[in-house]
Amino acid sequence: MSTGGNFAGRVGARVLATVPVLLGAVVFTFLLTHVLPGDPAAFLASGPSAGPAEIAQIRARMGLDQPLPMQLWHYLVALAQGGWGQSHTTGQPVWTDLRQRLPATLELTFIAFALTLAIALPLGAAAALRPRSVWDRACTLLTVGGSCMPTFVIALLLVYVFYFLLGWAPEPTGRIDAMLAPPPAVTGFLLIDAALAGRWDALASAAGRLLLPAVAMALFSLAPVARLMRASLLGVLRSDPVRTARALGLPRRAVLASALHLALLPVVTGAGMVFSYMLSANVVIEKVFAWPGIGSYALDALLAADHAPLQGFVLLVALLFVAVNLGVDLLHGRIDPRAGADA
Amino acid sequence: MDRRSFIQQGTAFVSVGTTGAIATAGLGLPLSAFAQSRKETVRVLAEGAPNSQDPHGEGVSRESLGLFTNVYDRLINFDRVQVSPGVFKYDYARFRGELAESFEQSADGRTLTFKLRRDATFHDGKPVTAADVKWSLDRAVSLPASKRQLATGSLENPAQFNVVDPHTFRITLPRADRYTLPNLALFFASVLNSELARSHATAADPWAADWVKANAVGGGAYRVENFTPGQQVIYARFDGWKSGAPPQVRRAVFQVVPSASNRVAALLKGDADVALQLPPKDLDALTDTTRAKVVSVPVTTSFRFVAFNTQAKPFDDVRVRQAIAYALPYTSLLRGANLGRGEPLFGAKSAKPASSRFPQPYPYETQLLRARELLAQAGLAKGFKTSFSYNVGDATLAEPAALLIQEALGKIGIELSIEKVPGAQWGTLQTEKKLPFFIDSSSAWFNDPDYFLRIFFQGDWRWNFGSFKNDELARLVEQARWETDRVKYDRAIQRAIEIAFDQVPLVPLWLPSFEAALQPDLQGFTYYIHGQVDFRPLTRS
Repeated sequence: MSTGGNFAGRVGARVLATVPVLLGAVVFTFLLTHVLPGDPAAFLASGPSAGPAEIAQIRARMGLDQPLPMQLWHYLVALAQGGWGQSHTTGQPVWTDLRQRLPATLELTFIAFALTLAIALPLGAAAALRPRSVWDRACTLLTVGGSCMPTFVIALLLVYVFYFLLGWAPEPTGRIDAMLAPPPAVTGFLLIDAALAGRWDALASAAGRLLLPAVAMALFSLAPVARLMRASLLGVLRSDPVRTARALGLPRRAVLASALHLALLPVVTGAGMVFSYMLSANVVIEKVFAWPGIGSYALDALLAADHAPLQGFVLLVALLFVAVNLGVDLLHGRIDPRAGADA
Repeated sequence: MDRRSFIQQGTAFVSVGTTGAIATAGLGLPLSAFAQSRKETVRVLAEGAPNSQDPHGEGVSRESLGLFTNVYDRLINFDRVQVSPGVFKYDYARFRGELAESFEQSADGRTLTFKLRRDATFHDGKPVTAADVKWSLDRAVSLPASKRQLATGSLENPAQFNVVDPHTFRITLPRADRYTLPNLALFFASVLNSELARSHATAADPWAADWVKANAVGGGAYRVENFTPGQQVIYARFDGWKSGAPPQVRRAVFQVVPSASNRVAALLKGDADVALQLPPKDLDALTDTTRAKVVSVPVTTSFRFVAFNTQAKPFDDVRVRQAIAYALPYTSLLRGANLGRGEPLFGAKSAKPASSRFPQPYPYETQLLRARELLAQAGLAKGFKTSFSYNVGDATLAEPAALLIQEALGKIGIELSIEKVPGAQWGTLQTEKKLPFFIDSSSAWFNDPDYFLRIFFQGDWRWNFGSFKNDELARLVEQARWETDRVKYDRAIQRAIEIAFDQVPLVPLWLPSFEAALQPDLQGFTYYIHGQVDFRPLTRS
């Protein structure tokens, strides 16, 4: 009873604490985009017959002729009513764009993250359990290689080898074969939607197209997680409790289980950060694979002096960061009861 | 419920397509349904995407112009001529009817009468009438973007457009204007389904601009099956299309692939049929293979140039501008930055223009001695320092060009600091005339030299890149605007070109080409001013 109330209170307090963070992010991005030297009106009026009068007209219609605080106020009021503004690059409301594109980014990030964990955790653990073994060397090689090669190089290399030369991977364009009708949108996650509709051709196509970008992303994010796992487990294995357990003659399996449990705490924090980072930093991957996610959307907007999508993107990513941090916090509480007590 | 929202919402399996082929596509039948149609399918890969379905819209992307061409009909369109086997170019001087079966011009040129096809319908099956044409042109001259362009052809006022009977439409002009027909052949004069569009108009939006932006209301050869801004457009053939020979391509897919190397890879693997916007080095590599063919059509309405602010020091002195025109490394620029892909606009033998065609080669070539002399005469024998800018979006070409120019001008003592300007900022800086010296390219809609000179060499707008002011040139161009005597026209234009040669409002480098890479079996590719793909004449051999 008391723990339940405690839990809800904790979540409530955390959520409340995010409000100033989000508000700060909103105001800061707004000011930043409006201080940028590009003028959206001049960009929009790029027809060969657009003169100063037309530019002034467009500026007035977009409300850009008003003083900055006034514009900020209008933006905040609209935001409070659920209006995220209008994008002129896509011609759609920003919220519609983001809602359509977020699942693409999330699907890719989830798969890449799952791949990362599936490879990094065992590899890191093996490296820690057998220092200076072949496993340890392999771990070092993979993490150093993955983190020092730029993502786009890895991505282009994968495309060249697996699509162009070998022909094993499908064409690196978008989430699904354009000749296939996409499955009815329920969740926006193509794998789930295709499975729900029983469309196995769509499922195969979507899964095939996820593979290369997910591998490219995973190769990049492997490094921090694997190294963290290795370092953390090494530390724990040398720590007093584990040494005591060994000295007391506990079975090897039980010792290992408790050591892994103890080593998990920093890894969860690190993995949470890596996940947040992957969410916002996969712009390059999205560009190379023509992936219709929120990262490439924001980049296009930036190049076209399109302010509303940029602000929307930052706000959405801020919301996601907050959610991930909250998730990591709660997970901490589960892994280590001490972490929850004094928060 | 229309097809588009059907696909987007992806609700239950409701058959709403009017033709069998389209209904099949929406119902999500397995791949085999499409496999047989590979021959009838065309897949285009490009860097950007259409952002609007409204031909009168504001801020529409270049790729949208291709959508307008395929989805809407106009009264007339440009005819075409073959430039190489299987490749065509629009013919600026000749027109053919699209919705108009025939059209005639009165003796004084002030009345244009169009006889409409009786069997043409919009995608929803409603017949196309003169009332639709009138409503569409009324709309075009009322919304700002199309209004600006159509005004260049004396199409300005709804009162000029008259319905004679349901299949006869008349336009009256204040005076005969050689730009009226070309304007009517542009997408700005598309014919919209007035009943459908009007049913979505509101008091605040009488022309249903918000709705049409996301919902095409045309009667063209293709209907929009799926429109995902920033990603793709899928077209399905409209089998009820009567305004031309029935197209062979049944389905067309236009997709955004930002990475040029992936566009090339997909083309070479046979997964794509057309790759647009490829950098020179990829085009060069593709020219050598038999797995793709490269289409190259000179764009006679455009130029690549170096411009300076002629109103500010030191470029306000014509001798400095001429010195630069003599110092630029033309040949190595064209070869090094563009791999020789383009027609030179330098090295003319005479200071008198050879014809009234424009752009045409300027009488300048690399002569460093001349350049030094001119600089010395301008009192700048020791040279000067200035910045040289280019648009980051243009970097593939502009970056090597900037380095070559920096090196060459260094030889006559002009020290350049190179500035890369983000694309979003480029338009602002040009509009506000804040760039002293830069490289860019631009194009006009029409081929006539007076149109070109009027846009680029006068006025206080962005397109007068050199901020050039010359009363005589302005007067000559204005005189040529309404001149009907060919000899007098040519004389005025040649004089204007002579002024441009001498005064150097900017230095043209070369005439760019429109270039695309195609599957070798694709025939009938037709280049239009907008440089997008017209699916209607495409065939596979």
